[in-house]
Amino acid sequence: MSGLESAPAAVTPDDNVQWTTVGGVRVPVELITPPWPDPYLDIEDYDPDADLMVLNMGPQHPSTHGVLRVKLFLDGEICVKCVPYLGYLHRGVEKLCEKLSYVQITPIVDKNDYVSPMMNELAINMAFEKLIEAEVPRRSQYIRTICAEIQRVGSHLLWLGTFGLDMGGAIGGGGSIFMHTFRERELLLDLFEDLTGCRFHYNTHTVGGNRHDIPAGWAAKATKVLAELNARCFEYEQFVRENEIFRARTVGVGVVDPVLAMELGISGPILRASGVDVDLRRDQPYAAYGEIDINVPTETAGDCFARYLVRVAEMRESIRIATELLKGIPEGPIGSLKPVKLAGAVKAKHGKAVYAAIESPRGELGTFVVGNTERRQAAIPYRCKIRSPSMHALQLLPYLCPGNNLSDIIVALGSLDPIMGEVDR
Amino acid sequence: MTWPIDAEKLCTERFGLELCETEGAGVDRTQLIELATALKNELEFGFFVYVVSVHYPAVEPIEADEEKGTEAAPGIPDRTVVHYRLRRLATDDRPTECFAFFTVVPTGESCPSVSSIWAGADWQEREQFDLVGTVFADHPDLRRIMMPEDWPGHPLRRDYAIDTQHFPWR
Repeated sequence: MSGLESAPAAVTPDDNVQWTTVGGVRVPVELITPPWPDPYLDIEDYDPDADLMVLNMGPQHPSTHGVLRVKLFLDGEICVKCVPYLGYLHRGVEKLCEKLSYVQITPIVDKNDYVSPMMNELAINMAFEKLIEAEVPRRSQYIRTICAEIQRVGSHLLWLGTFGLDMGGAIGGGGSIFMHTFRERELLLDLFEDLTGCRFHYNTHTVGGNRHDIPAGWAAKATKVLAELNARCFEYEQFVRENEIFRARTVGVGVVDPVLAMELGISGPILRASGVDVDLRRDQPYAAYGEIDINVPTETAGDCFARYLVRVAEMRESIRIATELLKGIPEGPIGSLKPVKLAGAVKAKHGKAVYAAIESPRGELGTFVVGNTERRQAAIPYRCKIRSPSMHALQLLPYLCPGNNLSDIIVALGSLDPIMGEVDR
Repeated sequence: MTWPIDAEKLCTERFGLELCETEGAGVDRTQLIELATALKNELEFGFFVYVVSVHYPAVEPIEADEEKGTEAAPGIPDRTVVHYRLRRLATDDRPTECFAFFTVVPTGESCPSVSSIWAGADWQEREQFDLVGTVFADHPDLRRIMMPEDWPGHPLRRDYAIDTQHFPWR
């Protein structure tokens, strides 16, 4: 099992799936199940004889992946209505962005999506570069792309481990898959430590390029780690795919309707597991993605198991992309602007609004920035908004939960992979 | 950035709107729902990206002063500009395309909600109501989403006093 074959396009054969077109997009027929549950169901209208119980899951609940509070109305074990409450981790990042300069914002947004911090830096710096019309050198584009792909692998590894814990350690007993994935994630964090000096909050992207160049021998080390990881991915598939408990907990649980998901603005692995072939890396290439072929793994079942399959296939695809890019990193500068020392070195003198989006491990992560027209404030954005994929994914909960029992809700919530730092900002 | 040709045609010919280079079509609040419905049903913009409100404080009118050489400028009232962006997902015969439009909402008036057209606008509009204070009419559940329910003011307004201490106990 050596060699880096590309990920299979679909793991289950497509022959038996009926397709239809909704809004120009091809979706599997059997996943479309309107009418959708009413998220604003008046609980008084429900069966008056039922003995409903209100259960507050969270904000300090181990399976809500952070501080999410979900208020569940249960009829026996079956959920009738679900109301999510956010804001327990709201730190006012967008307000901070209005007080800090373009250069100072990068380390702040690192803390949004703390599982793949470099994605935030990439998204926000791409928007700033669009605003001030700065070019990014090719070498920097390559470093950004390689880092983004390795971050994607790390993020999915963390998801797989915690997903195993969500199911009560169903995979391999106890928390063993968690131990395996965290061992591998450690290798990736070591790579980033060599590159930037930090393990979590890197502060390595800046407007117009990168701060840190690749150290000597890093590319060879990274290639070796990724090859090792690729072999381990096959191991995870064998570990989990035929595991009877894992299948019983995930197959057919939390089926996401692709039409509803598109309306809610959900992208990434959740939409791809529901049969929609969409990926911003391929459809709207940014950084160095235009120079490489990308296979987008999709699934047609739309359940938690399909989302697991898509994420593992994506990990292998990311490893392949990163390995291929590592072979041909071009020489040259890593930043187009002069090394930025002063906080006010980057300036935008117009009030235009721009938006730049990337494909983060959870979907479309975008940044909307308005420049400041006031001359004295030219180094500070007027308004900054981070469009986080996790917040859109959580909007599924009121549609997904009714009709499921409590243990399935926990698995469905885990399979959405929400990061609360990004939801609440 | 260039906008999709069919969306540009819809805006200019049917609605008589002008398109900006980066912000898209500027639409009046009364036409907003009509435009949004046409974009979704006729032009297949099924993927909702964002709604963002940006607050602009009032600008005082400037009187002409010949000694200083300043020219007269009319005042602009306190307002929020609400930006929307939609995406048309890529298929085999077309790339993915974005379309954006915006509307100006004077403070004290409300903006029509698009959450009945795209369900994804629901929480986004709640967030903009919470942080910027834009009121979305006909929204099914317009509550605060990030800040506590009894929080005074809207933090992302430009006139929000940032140095005021707010105690979590009251």
